[in-house]
Amino acid sequence: MKVFDVNGTTISFTLYIDVTNSRELLEAMQSGTLEPEVAFLNASLIPDIFPVLAAAHKTLVSKSRDSLTTRTLHSELVYNYSGSKHITESLKRCGISDSTTYILAARFDATPDEMNSVNELINGKEIDLEELEGRANKAQIQKHYKISALELGISTLADAITCRIAARDAL
Amino acid sequence: METKTYAKDCSLILIKQGAEARVFESTFVGRKSIVKERFSKKYRHPTLDSKLTLKRLNAEARCMTKARRLGVLTPVLYAVNPVLHTLTFEFINGPSVKDIFLEYGENGVSKEQLDDIASQIGDAIGKLHDGGLIHGDLTTSNMLLNNSTNQLVLIDFGLSFTSTLPEDKAVDLYVLERALLSMHSSCGNVMDRILAAYRKSSKQWSSTLNKLAQVRQRGRKRTMVG
Repeated sequence: MKVFDVNGTTISFTLYIDVTNSRELLEAMQSGTLEPEVAFLNASLIPDIFPVLAAAHKTLVSKSRDSLTTRTLHSELVYNYSGSKHITESLKRCGISDSTTYILAARFDATPDEMNSVNELINGKEIDLEELEGRANKAQIQKHYKISALELGISTLADAITCRIAARDAL
Repeated sequence: METKTYAKDCSLILIKQGAEARVFESTFVGRKSIVKERFSKKYRHPTLDSKLTLKRLNAEARCMTKARRLGVLTPVLYAVNPVLHTLTFEFINGPSVKDIFLEYGENGVSKEQLDDIASQIGDAIGKLHDGGLIHGDLTTSNMLLNNSTNQLVLIDFGLSFTSTLPEDKAVDLYVLERALLSMHSSCGNVMDRILAAYRKSSKQWSSTLNKLAQVRQRGRKRTMVG
């Protein structure tokens, strides 16, 4: 588990591989019975934690203005990470599906106890966040965020994603 | 009022104040960053003012990220705040091309370095123009040289817009030419080297350079007679 400070609010992350119960997690989340509330991100689209922090920053800013686009704080994080304005599509792609095995769990202002219960929810093996880069699906990221080879010549995947997250509402 | 909103945003140190915006140094989730705040103009009607400010803020964010998509280095955009009218982006560590050019001939800036920078400038502008992006304020103070990579980074897309007209591209180059002429006449003819690189990088160089010749005759503004 790793904790970051985003403008005075903390966000805790845990990364899992070989998750076997994503179907249950998805059902619990969609019925709103997930306890504690937590965001599940499709980790193969995450080459680095920085863009997720940028999305978290954006989420907290909208929260402080009571202008969340989606229903909960944590779904807003998934939506913001997608860099797209299409909510359903964003949650489908950047969230988890029935068959997802590689998951990043995130929770704002989590207590150690809450993160322990998250750990119990997920049937999978916890790994270090350092592994994000090596495990990311580069082709899928390029396709989803429409990152051309031209842009990759001057930019990392993570920076390209960050730009899209930040600029989404300006487009 | 302002300090209150910034209190949670870590420390902000004012670096520059211009006519349209203030530029601060800050940190964004652990990375050193630049915050550019467009302030309101009290002499404008409030409704018009907020519309203009917001439009320019969004346009700048769009153009910065579009430039990156075209393969031209600009700072990574971290956040856009339409309520505070701020843009947060990557802090680039390095001198401006203006400072390097001004030091030319005095200490340690070689002819090779000058040539390299000039060709990077021409190449970058060529890529922007081919992608239909006009920078709008090409001066040597809006170009930085990243210390660690020696790569040219274009900044300040506050006057940028999209256009494919040779006229707009020519005026973009003309503005740079005038800026070089007035600031850096001691550097010799840098513009020729920039244009040589531009020719290599832009596929549409010929119509742009033809137009540039016309623009040189009449200046930046078109004559509007009749």
